[in-house]
Amino acid sequence: MGASYTAVGWNRQKKNYDWLIAVFCLGYLGIFISITLLFNEQATFETLLLRSTSTLAILLLHVILAIGPLCRINTKFLPLLYNRRHLGVTMFSLALVHGCFGIFQFHALGNTNAVVSLFSSNTNYNSLAAFPFQALGFFALLIFFLMAITSHDFWLHNLSPKVWKTLHMFVYLGYLLVILHVMLGVIQFEKNPLFVLILSIGSCTLVVLHLTAAFKEKKLDDRLFALQQNGFVYVCNSDEIEDSRAKIFCIDKERIAVYRHENKLYAIHNVCKHQGGPLGEGKILDGCITCPWHGYQYLPQNGQSPPPFKEKVNTYNLKVIKNKVWLNPVPLAEGTERPGVTIM
Amino acid sequence: MIMKQNNDFYIGWMDKAPASYSRHIKKVIILLACLVLIAALILSLQQRKFSTASFEFGQLTEITGTYQQAPVPAVKVKTDQDVFGNSTYLTIPLVGYGKFGAEGIISSLEKEHNTPLNGKEVVLKGTLLYSDGKTLLQVDKNDNPLVSINKPLLKTLTTRQDLGFVEVKGEIIDPKCYFGVMKPGHGKPHRDCAIRCIEGGMDPVFYVRNDKGEANYYLIAGADGRKINDQLKDYIAEPVSLKAKAVQIDDWTVLYLDGNTSIKRLGGLSWFKQQDNSISCSPR
Repeated sequence: MGASYTAVGWNRQKKNYDWLIAVFCLGYLGIFISITLLFNEQATFETLLLRSTSTLAILLLHVILAIGPLCRINTKFLPLLYNRRHLGVTMFSLALVHGCFGIFQFHALGNTNAVVSLFSSNTNYNSLAAFPFQALGFFALLIFFLMAITSHDFWLHNLSPKVWKTLHMFVYLGYLLVILHVMLGVIQFEKNPLFVLILSIGSCTLVVLHLTAAFKEKKLDDRLFALQQNGFVYVCNSDEIEDSRAKIFCIDKERIAVYRHENKLYAIHNVCKHQGGPLGEGKILDGCITCPWHGYQYLPQNGQSPPPFKEKVNTYNLKVIKNKVWLNPVPLAEGTERPGVTIM
Repeated sequence: MIMKQNNDFYIGWMDKAPASYSRHIKKVIILLACLVLIAALILSLQQRKFSTASFEFGQLTEITGTYQQAPVPAVKVKTDQDVFGNSTYLTIPLVGYGKFGAEGIISSLEKEHNTPLNGKEVVLKGTLLYSDGKTLLQVDKNDNPLVSINKPLLKTLTTRQDLGFVEVKGEIIDPKCYFGVMKPGHGKPHRDCAIRCIEGGMDPVFYVRNDKGEANYYLIAGADGRKINDQLKDYIAEPVSLKAKAVQIDDWTVLYLDGNTSIKRLGGLSWFKQQDNSISCSPR
């Protein structure tokens, strides 16, 4: 959390996660290179390096992009989300090897600077068939580079969560550029329908997962709250909220989490200050609301992270009348103390 | 009113994940392992076969033969005698280091030895590249490539046969990459490199595959025999049609193009065709 930073805060789950990334990556590279050499004795080191790293990076990119919506559809996928940034940095490292080696292989040792050559060799920017696909890969790599170097919480804190999240949403543009890089590049040479099919399945899976997650959340967001009294909105009955858990309500386009803790109710803004995680899907641990994404914590009575941490979220006024929970959707300033409302 | 507490909550910094999460993630890991295995197998097995071209990287070879400046810098090497007792020759075009043609280094060698090399018997040291019956030699200044200049014992005659005007469909390639340095050394993934090589003075070659899958290779020159590398840039490494005067010079055929009006682009986007017929030969 936001008090101080270490390069990587290792814990058992992160170590396991990183071991699995290493095993999967080395396994993929080993199989790809061995099988290629087994059936293509003439394969060159350069091409093996370019192809093994690029295909693995694309595979990882699909896994990375699938984790978000999978977690929104089923929270049992959350362990995959916990250390996703390491997966992202691994993907970038592989793409960097592919990109740097590709620039050297295809552009170095010539009559012009290699990076200048990247943009000036093939200048058919007005033709889809002849489009200089390497430039697309370069810009995708640039996006992944910016994401990788800002992946640490230090940058999240210093850039502000909004700017950081916006920057990291560019991963979708990066993905689009990668797909175009492949479709207008190597697939124009290989012309193998299976490669097109694999890439299409990957893209369609991502689209379906994102749409499914969006529809699930839209259903929650579209709920109408008809009963209103003096600015308070009836949201649910108190016995609908489990102990140490919350229900999320979307009123006036803002999501609010109503928590139940030790027979009292508390309302706070649903969006975690860390990476925008859904606080209402978390749980109260050690008296703190705990975000399900990365474990950031907030005190239910004031929306403040326990000292020495400094994150704060908005709190809201609540009241309970005859087992009915009424919520005032006007946010109080971040960190405003509000005593819990006792359930009768 | 006390409700039953749901303890099933995952948080990354805890030592152990709840059992239900562990079970689920184990299944996901097995699924991902299968995905990795299948992806690696399919992607590696479905690649196009690599060419048998060779680049003898790190291995220097000396060749002895007559240096000729045109149509491209090359050394004509005596290989054997035919059944009639006539000498047979192999023309080995020269290429420079990196993405450069050989003209620069030949010119500097001529200055260094203060003598033109054209028509002289030379012993050159360099790195061989070969594929499909064609051989090239990379000459690099760092290898001290000119071993000796000898007076030719016998004048080697050039056989020259006019083949008339032809229209051929194929791909303009840079010979250094195609005949050994890179795999693939042609097609879209290699286009930028081929452009850089040809802009660097490498003599372009036209690659044509006939209906039986057999390949033919032609040297390309302007109508007056001069280099036209700068006019080819937009047509390199994609299917094109060439109209040109073809002349057989020893063991290479040279296509003499009359400007870029003789070149027509044939390709479009194509993701599914396994065999690209647009580079098959079509003599006029």
